[in-house]
Amino acid sequence: MTLARVARGALVVAIIVAVWEALGQWELVAGGALPPPSDIVRQFWGDRSDYPPHLSVTLKSAGLGFVFGNIVAIVVGVISARWRTAESLFRGVGVSLFAMPLIAIVPVLLLAFSGTVPRIVLAAMAVYYPTYVATIVGMRSVDPRLVDVVRVAGGEEYAVTRWLRVRSAIPHIVNAFKISAPAALLGTLLVEFGGGSRWGLGTYLLGSLGQANPARLWGIGLMATIVAALAYAIFAVIAQRLTRTSLSATVDTAIARSESGSWPRRIGMVFLSAGFVLGLWALTLKLLGMSPIVAKSPLAVVNYLTSDPRAAATRDRLFDAYRETLPLALLGLACGLLAALLLAVILQLKPTLGRSVLPFALISQTMPLPALTPLIVLIFGRDVLATVVVCVSVTFFPSFVTISQALASVSPAAVDVVRVSGGGRISALRYVGLPSSVPALATAARLAAPRALLGVMIAEYLATGNGLGNLLNESRGRLDYGMIWTVATTSVLVAVLITQLIGVLERLARR
Amino acid sequence: MTNYTRRQMLIRMSAAGAGAMTLPAILAACGGDDSESGSSGNTTDFTMQAAWINDAEFMGYFIAMDKGYYTEQGLKLNYLPGGPDVIPESSLLGGKAPLALTTPDSTINAIVNDGAPFVIIGAQYQKNPIGVVSLKKNPINSPQDLVGKTLAVPPANTLSVEAMLKLSGVNKDDVNIVPYAYDPTPLVQGEIDASIDFTTNVPYTIEEAGEAATSFLLYDYGFTIYNDTVVVTKDALKNNRAEIVKWLRASRQGWEENFKDPAKYPAEFEETYFKGTGRTIANEVFFNKAQQSLMEASSGFFSMTEEGIEANLAALAEIGIKGSRDMFDTTLLEEV
Repeated sequence: MTLARVARGALVVAIIVAVWEALGQWELVAGGALPPPSDIVRQFWGDRSDYPPHLSVTLKSAGLGFVFGNIVAIVVGVISARWRTAESLFRGVGVSLFAMPLIAIVPVLLLAFSGTVPRIVLAAMAVYYPTYVATIVGMRSVDPRLVDVVRVAGGEEYAVTRWLRVRSAIPHIVNAFKISAPAALLGTLLVEFGGGSRWGLGTYLLGSLGQANPARLWGIGLMATIVAALAYAIFAVIAQRLTRTSLSATVDTAIARSESGSWPRRIGMVFLSAGFVLGLWALTLKLLGMSPIVAKSPLAVVNYLTSDPRAAATRDRLFDAYRETLPLALLGLACGLLAALLLAVILQLKPTLGRSVLPFALISQTMPLPALTPLIVLIFGRDVLATVVVCVSVTFFPSFVTISQALASVSPAAVDVVRVSGGGRISALRYVGLPSSVPALATAARLAAPRALLGVMIAEYLATGNGLGNLLNESRGRLDYGMIWTVATTSVLVAVLITQLIGVLERLARR
Repeated sequence: MTNYTRRQMLIRMSAAGAGAMTLPAILAACGGDDSESGSSGNTTDFTMQAAWINDAEFMGYFIAMDKGYYTEQGLKLNYLPGGPDVIPESSLLGGKAPLALTTPDSTINAIVNDGAPFVIIGAQYQKNPIGVVSLKKNPINSPQDLVGKTLAVPPANTLSVEAMLKLSGVNKDDVNIVPYAYDPTPLVQGEIDASIDFTTNVPYTIEEAGEAATSFLLYDYGFTIYNDTVVVTKDALKNNRAEIVKWLRASRQGWEENFKDPAKYPAEFEETYFKGTGRTIANEVFFNKAQQSLMEASSGFFSMTEEGIEANLAALAEIGIKGSRDMFDTTLLEEV
């Protein structure tokens, strides 16, 4: 990076901060609910002795969750990459963990575990899926010619794994860490915000919420942002180094699918995989020895929806909630993908501008949403617009990472062809970058679908008071544990169905 | 480079092996971590689940811990703070604590609907501090004033609000009810007209933000329930009755000490119980003074009179929660 480019980048950042300061100073946004950066810094300085104890607890929990979640994900990923049957079996667990609306399980975790364990567990759950997928994709995306070389030299599958697959997987895994490290932090904050202990940034946020002091809330949020950005940056640097030196530079962004086997076999595997999830769920409850009033087994949820005397009314409430939530989730998904694509294109065309905007985009990812609720409702109201904004903020970042990775890793030769024929950056993007990023867009859509559902639920829960998020909220107020588990279970199912539907559409489009 | 990656992988692999061994072990260990009672020397461990994060709502317990009132009773108190996702009743059912501070509506609802084995043995607040808070310049002085207005309600208080509206003859659909996310900024800015909150607490913040606040209690409009009801499980009542009585005795002593001078203790706990909560000591003093009249009872803190219990049951019956007298047990307070 040349000095001029650094200077230009700094200028963009300075302009953004200056505009922000002006908006805040003159209380132009939401009657002063957006504090100017100078106020945030002043408040932060005043609170500086509060931060270390909170931050250290948060970092420790997020770090432990990150390590545990990744270890499990890599082990399961390696096994899944080696044996297709194992992959089919574990896929249900991965997809369920990924699609799980985290806000629905926080009360359950807080109930089952004490101290900082709920945070570690949620952070581990948040990192599992990206790393698991990256491990499988990495292990599989080995140049077949290299496999032939090892085979010809007398190597068996073990040798292929040892010499090729492992090395190919590492850059993919480290790339996934870019997404999962901030996710671990957010998972931890979410649990801390649920209460139940004295320390943690999320706990600090909770206590500060009632103080009508936006500068403090932004200070806490920016602290979380800085930590997340650092984690992202560290893994981005390592990933870049590894990608440069690794043997296989092809990026296969498609999530591994077991396309093998006949239809009956595949359907059988889906049932087996789902059964595995249900078994794991029932077994965990049994091992934890939780009260059946609080902890509902799969069977109890089915009973709650069918044979319980209130079942018919329950089903009506549930369907009504989905009728409100689902259309918004699809709208939010579309908007989130569009935002991600837009930012990825900007980053590609104007790298300096993109890189300067990126930190501000990251703020939207790591600012805990409860801290932003007043700002959101004051600017966007409590309707569709607010819902879409929350949804975009929740969905766009992983999509952005996936899409920009695809845009960045197009074949240089193809770009050269465009350049030689007199095309500029825009032409290269139009004829090479965008077409070759279509699969990435589909991947991004599948990654973002469960988050879109979560985003709408969060908006409903914090701002609009409709649909599934509100149903969850009310059920907690009424100690309706059956409904809490039902919402959690059905939202996973719905998210998985949407994901699969996108997969089918993608395959149809490719034909 | 080859060596580097191979070594890296080796470390990862061995770490992974260790992880696979330890993770279930850790989870199992945590699941079985029921530290509700056990003896160490001549003090007994005793755990209580509070209803919210540390603030003046729990002054009496902090004082009793700080001054050693529990120790004098032979208890070693393990105090668990609450929060929005901590359902105190769940801690009872999960075996985390034998005693919790709850809202009577959710507790009785759980007994009636799920057969939860709970008994209410005392009430911290004789009058529920929950109320409708609004700005003086746009005042909401009664439930009737809420018609056509926007009211923010926290999830835990949905039932209470429905009860208040019903008791006052206001149609729920005539009030625009939105979620309350514990931040008074939208109220101060006029985005909402009123919110449901502790009337002992949030008016302070509103006045700090430069607006005058006004409020009324749901209690004064017919929703005559207690709050922070002291709830134990039937099991605990049978097996730990002596400890529960001791807890009541020490806690009552803590509250008595607190209200000798409500401005005294918040400042003393600035570096301990209130350190890093994100709240100010001045706010806790305001809170502590405001809650005094809602807690005091002629027969001592935590009292439950027959009329009081009847009023609770009558209010809850209005919203279809059919509790009964046997869900309350006043005999422990008599022992105190």
